Amino acid sequence: MSKLESDEGDLTRKQRREQAREERKAAEQAAAAGDARRKRMTQLGGAVAVVIVAIVVILVATGGGGKKAAPKPGAKNSATQKALAEVTSTIGGVPQKGNVLGSPTAPVTLQYFGDLECPFCREFTTSVLPTVIKKFVRSGKLQIQYRSLETATREPEVFTTQQTAALAAGKQNKMWWFVELFYHLQGEEDSGYVTESYLQGLAAAVPGLSLSQWTTDRSDQTLQAQVETDTQEANNVGFTGTPSFLIGQSGGAMKKLEASEYGNSFSDPSAFASAIEKHVKA
Amino acid sequence: MSARALRITLIVLSVIGVALATYLTYIHYANIKPLCGRGGGTCLKVQTSQYSKLAGVPVALMGLIGYIAILGTLLAPEEERWRFATAALTLGGFAFSAYLTYREVFSLEEICEYCVSSAVLLTVMLGLSLWRFLRGGGSTSAVTPGGEPATPVGSPL
Repeated sequence: MSKLESDEGDLTRKQRREQAREERKAAEQAAAAGDARRKRMTQLGGAVAVVIVAIVVILVATGGGGKKAAPKPGAKNSATQKALAEVTSTIGGVPQKGNVLGSPTAPVTLQYFGDLECPFCREFTTSVLPTVIKKFVRSGKLQIQYRSLETATREPEVFTTQQTAALAAGKQNKMWWFVELFYHLQGEEDSGYVTESYLQGLAAAVPGLSLSQWTTDRSDQTLQAQVETDTQEANNVGFTGTPSFLIGQSGGAMKKLEASEYGNSFSDPSAFASAIEKHVKA
Repeated sequence: MSARALRITLIVLSVIGVALATYLTYIHYANIKPLCGRGGGTCLKVQTSQYSKLAGVPVALMGLIGYIAILGTLLAPEEERWRFATAALTLGGFAFSAYLTYREVFSLEEICEYCVSSAVLLTVMLGLSLWRFLRGGGSTSAVTPGGEPATPVGSPL
C-alpha cells in the first residue's frame, strides 16, 4: 500500500467519525428538544388543570348556570307574612285613593316616580318612607302619589304589566299595599322574577283585595295610558333615574325635589324628612 | 416571527389590555350612581350587574391587575420561567374572560362591547403566548411543537 492510499484511507475514516459524531449530536439535540417539549406540555397541562378547577369553583360560587330562583310571594308564605307585618305598620289605617297615599285634603303633595324593580326605590321605600309617612302623611300634612318611570326593569312590556298591576290594585284603593309589598319582596335585579304568577301571588297577599276585580281592572286601557303619561311627564321634567320626586302645594305647580335637598341619600330618613319639612312649612 | 417580534407584539397587546381594563374599571366606579338610571347602554347594565364583582372585587379591576401581571412577565428577562408565567396568566385570563362572556350571553343576555374586546384580546394573546412558550429558546427557526402555531381569532384593533 502506497503512502497516498494510506492517507486517503485515513481521511475517509476521519470523515466517517465526523459524520457519526454529527449524527450523535443531532440525536442528542433531538432527544433534549423532545424532553423540553414534554416538560413544557406537562407544565401547561398543570396550568390548564388549575384554571379549570378555578373556573368551576367560580361558577359554583356565583350560582351555577342559571338565574336565581324567583321569589314566590303568597299569602301563606313566611317571607310574605313578615313583609305584610312591616307594610301594615307603615301604611295600615292610612287613607288611600288610586295612586295616592294620605288624606286627599293634605296641603302638600309629594310625587314619587319609581320603578317597582328598582333596588334604590326599594331602599327608599323600606328605610325612608316609613318615617315620612309617620311624620307627615298620618298627620294629614302630606299626600304621596306613586308614579311610574322605567329604569331598572329591562323589558318595557314587563314594566307596563307590573306598574299596571299596581294601578289596578289602586282601583280598589289598595295600590300602596301592592307597591309596598312589591318593594319589600323585591327579587334579584335582572333575574326575570316578575312573572304572571309572581304578580298573582303579590295581589293575593294584599289584604282585602278582590282578585277577580283586580284581574278585570288590569285590562283597563286607562291604566296603561296612566303609566305612559307618568313616563312622559318624567321625561318633560328631565328625570333620568329613580327614585325621583316632585313636590308642591296640592293642586298647584310641582317642582323637583333635588337630591341635594335630602343629602343625596335614599337611606337617610332624617335628611329626607328635613327636606319635606321645609316644603310643608313653606 | 422572531422571538423579539413575538414579545413586542404581546407587550403591545397587553398595553392595549391595560388601557381597556382601566377604562372598564373607571366606568364601573363612575357609573354606579345612587339611583336606577335610564339607558346607559348594555355596558352599564353588565358593569352594574351582580356578576360585575367576584367576592366583592370588581371583575374589571381583576382584569386590570391581570393585564399588568402579564405585562410584567413580558418585561422580565427572556427566560423559560417567564415565558411560562406569561402563558399561564393569559390562559387564566382567557378562561376567566370566557366565563364572563358566558355570564353576559346566558345570564344577563346583554353584550358589553368592551368586555368582548377584552375577550378577543386575551384569545389572541393566549395563542401567541402558547406559541412563544412551546417553541422555547426563541430562535426564528425553532421547532413549533404541535404543528401550526395557534392562529389568532379576529383582532381587537
